[in-house]
Amino acid sequence: MTSFQHGTPPPAPSHVPGPAVLGARGLTKSYDATRALTDLSLNVHAGESVAVMGPSGGGKTTLLHCLAGIITPDTGQVLLQLDGGTTDIARLDDRERSALRRSTFGFVFQQGLLIPELTALENVAVALMLLGVDRSSAEHSAAQWLAALGLAGMEDRRVGQLSGGQAQRVAIARAQVSGASVIFADEPTGALDSGTSAEVMDILLRSTTGTGKTLVVVTHDDDVARRCARTVRLRDGRIVSDSLSPAAGAVA
Amino acid sequence: MSAAPALPTSPPGRGTASPRPHRIPVGVPLRLAWMLARPSATGLSASALPVTAFALVTALLLTVVAGGLSFFQWQDETGQLYLALAAIATALLVVPLLTLGGSAARLSARRRDERLATLRLLGAPASTVAVMTVAESMMLAAAGVLAGIIGHLLLLPLVQLIPFRGEPLGSAVWMGPGPLVLVALGVVALAAGSSVLGLRRIVISPLGVRTRQQAPRLHWLRAVVALGVIALVAVVMGNVGGAQDFATVVVVLGVGFGGALGVLNLVGPWIIGVLARRQVRSARTPERLLAGRQILDSPKAAWRQVSGVAMTCFMAVFGGTGAALMNSAGPLGGSERYLGDDVRTGVLITIVASFLMVACSAGITQASLLLDRRDLYVSLDRLGMPVETMNAARTRAVLFPLLVVSIGSALTAVVVALPLAGLALIFAPLSVAVIIGCLAGGIGLVVVGLRATRPVLTHILRNPSAAL
Repeated sequence: MTSFQHGTPPPAPSHVPGPAVLGARGLTKSYDATRALTDLSLNVHAGESVAVMGPSGGGKTTLLHCLAGIITPDTGQVLLQLDGGTTDIARLDDRERSALRRSTFGFVFQQGLLIPELTALENVAVALMLLGVDRSSAEHSAAQWLAALGLAGMEDRRVGQLSGGQAQRVAIARAQVSGASVIFADEPTGALDSGTSAEVMDILLRSTTGTGKTLVVVTHDDDVARRCARTVRLRDGRIVSDSLSPAAGAVA
Repeated sequence: MSAAPALPTSPPGRGTASPRPHRIPVGVPLRLAWMLARPSATGLSASALPVTAFALVTALLLTVVAGGLSFFQWQDETGQLYLALAAIATALLVVPLLTLGGSAARLSARRRDERLATLRLLGAPASTVAVMTVAESMMLAAAGVLAGIIGHLLLLPLVQLIPFRGEPLGSAVWMGPGPLVLVALGVVALAAGSSVLGLRRIVISPLGVRTRQQAPRLHWLRAVVALGVIALVAVVMGNVGGAQDFATVVVVLGVGFGGALGVLNLVGPWIIGVLARRQVRSARTPERLLAGRQILDSPKAAWRQVSGVAMTCFMAVFGGTGAALMNSAGPLGGSERYLGDDVRTGVLITIVASFLMVACSAGITQASLLLDRRDLYVSLDRLGMPVETMNAARTRAVLFPLLVVSIGSALTAVVVALPLAGLALIFAPLSVAVIIGCLAGGIGLVVVGLRATRPVLTHILRNPSAAL
């Protein structure tokens, strides 16, 4: 497990991007007659946090799903740099993409979407057990992650006994316990109040980009976007702007 | 600068807030119920599942009741015995069927939770929501009942071929239009009653949110009471041979049988809970952990789903071994000469019908669980959980209690009727093997019922946009 110092503020976004870990090349995706993405190209660099914004129906979630291998584009490539090699996710079959999501990517959804019957600890440990890690080691790592995210003592609570913010922290732990190098978050604070939202973003950034991982966040929330190093705005399936946060200065 | 478009005005007399609530015409909730019950692209499954459940319940219930009533054709002394045995078998099947009917009604009410809760938030009074829910549940039940009647009529020719007392049942199985309509109305009434009980939560809280807190724990005293009753019944059964009076023997057997069944109901959920807790503790794979936790979430619900099989397995061992023994003792004379074979036939039919119900119940419950939790399954798929793991966990969550119940209740019956069972094993091993084979086949039937829900999960995962 990659550990990080709990309680330290999130690091300032880097002005100099690392090598591209994910690259979209000419992505096009349609749902029946609706064009969701049109010839979209984008690089996501290692260790950066990217907010994807835009109006509803602008293609944000479709882009996230293509980058994460949840769906495949109609045309184009999604290139993942991994262990010195390059993999085109768009060409992998369903089983291979599923394995990739288990091992390399982590996901945080709007509602947490934890398994209600399991305890907080088991929800996190399941992600490791799916990779074949034995249960006691999985639960040990899960407990470390929960403690690091401020949930020590809540391991045996079920989802119904957690607040929205706590449930989302469990989801953040679940997304990263397997050592995922790229974390995708779809409106991770959409169901939270502003105070809890800021807390969750702190934790998300600190545990991802703060330790060299890459974070891609789809959001409607300007506050969330401002916390990320870079903001990509989409409209009608095309990128209309791509900029660093004001403090970092504009790119391209 | 152009002026902003004018906002639409409220209809006369409706725009001002009035502290006095106005009366809602009776027809309004019925019209709303009709709108909600209409199949739509997204809501088809919400209607189709309960209708299918009601159709299955009605078809099976009509067939079971018709079979039971057909035994009235014999008026002689042996006929009375046949009638008593048929009554036991019918009771064994009708009770779980009514439970299944209740589940179907709750299913139809629950699948409307969100929309009904929204109506409550919009200000619909509790009475409107109540009338709507009941009306809607009854409409879906009526549609299912009609389909069930057709199913029953299609099943009839097969049931008529079943032989009792040396000849097929034939036209005696047709119950006539009167009882048929009564049973059909009974199912619709059951739907109405269950939906009234099921909607309390929505009426109490407009938010209608289900929150899962700590899983319930059942008390170990259940096991102590159960062991005591089983020991008592075993002692009484062991001494029943000393009674001279036939009526006393029948009463003792009946009380013993009923007592043991009561014990099964008392101890069943507790045993399932204890074993599931052990499974959770020792689980090495995600599917075992998920299945164990799902059972622990409500051991009573897990028990309800398979309790029909408990009763049947108990009766199968109890009655089946008795019949096997009766046959091995040599042919009886007169009207009783078919008794042994007929009891065995009855036992086998009851086993098949009982497992058929559990298979239907498991299939419907699982399909509804999948649809209710489609967002969770989509998220698990996105996390990379293989679909095989999800299916294995779902199957295990039903099969584990089913195996516990089948084997547990059969063993309980063996203990209660040990002398009888021991003799039957020695004198009629083939008959015992047939009963065991039927139990195994029944479990296979439930597996088929569960497998039938796999396309539902596949469909959900292929159309994730409807879930998230």
